[in-house]
Amino acid sequence: MLKKSLLALALSSALLTGCGGSSSNAPVVVPEVTPVVTPDVTGFSFEATEMITNLTNDVIVAGYKNLNDEAAVYLLATQTLVNTPTEENLAAAQQAWKDVRVHWEQGESHIFGPVDALSIDPHLDTWPLNTSDLQALLDTQSGFNATELKAFNDDVQGFHTMEFLLFGDGVADNEKAIGEMTVLEREYLSAAAEVFKTHTQTLFDAWTVATDATDANSPAYKDLLLTPDNAVYSSQLGVVEELINGMIGIVDEVGNGKISEPFGSSIDNIDTTKVESQYSWNSLADFTDNIQGVQNVYRGEFLGQADKAGIIDFVTAADAAIATRVDTEIVDAIAAIKAIAGDNDLPFRQAINDADARVRIQTAIDKLTTLQTSLENDVLTQLKEWQQS
Amino acid sequence: MKYLRRAKWSNLAVVIASSIIVSGCNSSSSDEKEEVSQASYTHVSQLGGDATAVSASDSGHGFSTPMPNLTTEQLDKHLAGDAHFETAFTTAPNSEHPELDGLGPVFNNQDCNSCHQRDGRSSTITLAQGQERVLLGPEAGIFLRMSIDDGECSNPSVDNNYCKNLGVDGFGTQLFHRGVLKARDDWQENPFIGQADVYLAYEYSTVEYADGSSVELKKPIFTIEQPYDVSAENRLDSAILQENVRYSPRNGMPVFGLGLLELINEADILAIADENDANEDGISGRPNWVFDPVKAKNNDPIPVSLGRFGWKASTPSVRVQSLGALRGDMGVTNPLFPDESIANTPLHESYLTRTNFVDTGVDEQGNTEASQEFSDEVVFYAETLAVPARRNIDDDSVIAGAQLFDKVNCTGCHQPEFTTATGELLVGGLPAPNGLKGQTIYPFTDMLLHDLGEGLADNRRDFTATGVEWKTRPLWGIGLTKTVNPAAGFLHDGRAATVEEAILWHGGEAQQSKTDFMAMTQADRQALLDFVMSL
Repeated sequence: MLKKSLLALALSSALLTGCGGSSSNAPVVVPEVTPVVTPDVTGFSFEATEMITNLTNDVIVAGYKNLNDEAAVYLLATQTLVNTPTEENLAAAQQAWKDVRVHWEQGESHIFGPVDALSIDPHLDTWPLNTSDLQALLDTQSGFNATELKAFNDDVQGFHTMEFLLFGDGVADNEKAIGEMTVLEREYLSAAAEVFKTHTQTLFDAWTVATDATDANSPAYKDLLLTPDNAVYSSQLGVVEELINGMIGIVDEVGNGKISEPFGSSIDNIDTTKVESQYSWNSLADFTDNIQGVQNVYRGEFLGQADKAGIIDFVTAADAAIATRVDTEIVDAIAAIKAIAGDNDLPFRQAINDADARVRIQTAIDKLTTLQTSLENDVLTQLKEWQQS
Repeated sequence: MKYLRRAKWSNLAVVIASSIIVSGCNSSSSDEKEEVSQASYTHVSQLGGDATAVSASDSGHGFSTPMPNLTTEQLDKHLAGDAHFETAFTTAPNSEHPELDGLGPVFNNQDCNSCHQRDGRSSTITLAQGQERVLLGPEAGIFLRMSIDDGECSNPSVDNNYCKNLGVDGFGTQLFHRGVLKARDDWQENPFIGQADVYLAYEYSTVEYADGSSVELKKPIFTIEQPYDVSAENRLDSAILQENVRYSPRNGMPVFGLGLLELINEADILAIADENDANEDGISGRPNWVFDPVKAKNNDPIPVSLGRFGWKASTPSVRVQSLGALRGDMGVTNPLFPDESIANTPLHESYLTRTNFVDTGVDEQGNTEASQEFSDEVVFYAETLAVPARRNIDDDSVIAGAQLFDKVNCTGCHQPEFTTATGELLVGGLPAPNGLKGQTIYPFTDMLLHDLGEGLADNRRDFTATGVEWKTRPLWGIGLTKTVNPAAGFLHDGRAATVEEAILWHGGEAQQSKTDFMAMTQADRQALLDFVMSL
């Protein structure tokens, strides 16, 4: 049988839209309709509570906890760099930046809720940054602190501003000597890291304590997913739809945006200015982590963890063959992105300008296209067949 | 990193619905079962007709879906506009990314999406416990309009400058509270400040129902500091701090279904206007007549049109609304509005001098910061976002609420149904997509102005709209507001956290409906709210 709400949708359309509703506001007489019973041939049953609970608590919230914890480590590394500017401490801060980046990129598979509503995404990850404004500030200000910096525009804050300060311009290499880093650059970096940490804390708190930080009575965002029938999610269907759309969104973004736009239509049409994380040459790690995030949601666990309930279980209930195929397509997409580096660990910024690497890039794009098509046509569409208990 | 979504949504459910229409008609005509009296819209799911989205109507993408009945070519144009909608502009010149430059020099936000998050309402800024006020910054999807109080204006003509509002000397008609780094003379002390700082605070009140339950309401209070035209020590001399200046907040609103609203026949809207309340129902909707820059550009001798968009119906088309926001809210000049928002003010002149005339808004060839193609695509995007389908329409409470909505005459302003125009039509000056035409739609707005009482009054006219009048907001999709943006608020300044609060702010012509709502039992109030949330 078709799920209840879709059947109702079809019925209601039958009643009025198709028949031409009255243009006046006056009540019209509508016959009460006997519900249509459709044979139970295409629908499937799935108890989603365990899956939603696991994905909410052990994937999304756990991921934001990891992000927040690593942001604290990173902030400490930048403060150490301010106090003791050595090559070792710069290298430690660079590594800490990459470590915190992992959790942000994996979390892009579920960009919804507070990360959008509280403008945390643009605060943390605006691209491109405004290097001329950044330089003007460094040239004219006598010092920086987090309170002031938080009021600056987003294009001189966040991951990529800090990346630029830590790694340099990324054109010839992704290395920066401590001697190339001014006192004010280190101060700016640390202030930006402090602002960054406040945002990751805000994000974590919105999911776990109160959606509205100023209203202690507002629900934690995770509870809106765990107990739907609220102002945000009217049913579990809405939650599952959100989770699937989150995966589709990042697969689309990686395949059609992050990789395809710098890649261009030919080797004569590349655009290195559009390469994400181009200063640190961390692009391929970013893309890999994005799709790793998709796998986390699809499988219900982080890499290496024991099996738990994920979207794959929902799809398996509908069609086990599709569930397995999509899982393989995710694995293939991750492998294809990793393979872009080739045998000589070529960064993406250089790979788009290398004929052999371009073949590998096209393969990755194709794998992502296949995955996106499956998620849209074979996974999202299962929602209409789902009979919620 | 923010990127657009290219997914092409399945319209299978639309097909399912369509396929049952015929049998539904047949069955209703032959059915001998008991008949019940219901409002005409009770069971309607596809509020945008064929331009309704079905497969994203339960989640945060509910406002972000292209109309399913676009052609492939139209979909490509829509998706290009989608990318533009999320484009975060940067200070000019930007040699690495010239396609992104043009922000400001003063502005309210850097991209469309920041004020129309996920194509919906903006987040309402809240205050922490003990915090008295907050400075409007990047998180704010709200700004202030302003003008000199010059009385009412009812008949736009060349003699009264078509009832355009009189801008504040040195500022204009919109307060831009953010700026590029060097927007002001004092930029080294005050980087990134615009014309002035704006702070937001709230005052609170409580409304009690007859059954003893109560709702706390909040009202935003804005204060302005550090205007650019005087020093901080001498702030009272600023032109915007004088008694004859009127302010009105403007919160970002949803941008789906707009093409359909633009194609409602003007005659159908005017036919339900009742300026003098001839039918004596206490409701007297009237049109706003506004200056139309598209007509002016085309040398129309009477550049005035029916206002359709904006909180006071002060713009005639999606094109004027969108490109006005592009030039105003973001400071990006475009072919319809080629001058910077603060052109010919001392602030702009000092900025140009300070930055060596590298950001004039128009290059040596006469090209504006946003091209014609960019402008057309972003307008088309807003014209062709689908209306989300309803949810829970078979719930008993929703069905009961639909009848109560009519019974207490919410429909007196929130007109349920229109049919869009057909034939060879223009939308925003370009040929209209066929998918917008001839659609039976349920926006729940009469597109007219109504006096909503002193509680909501901004006391600032907007063309022919008075200081107590607002355009009836469309209610379609309103139930997904928090799904799209859990921090979103309702009404022109985001003051209402819930639909119930929004209802309780109604007054004036809606006073009787609010009184009737408040007199309902708790169950009936909930049913009415359930119906609204199903839209």
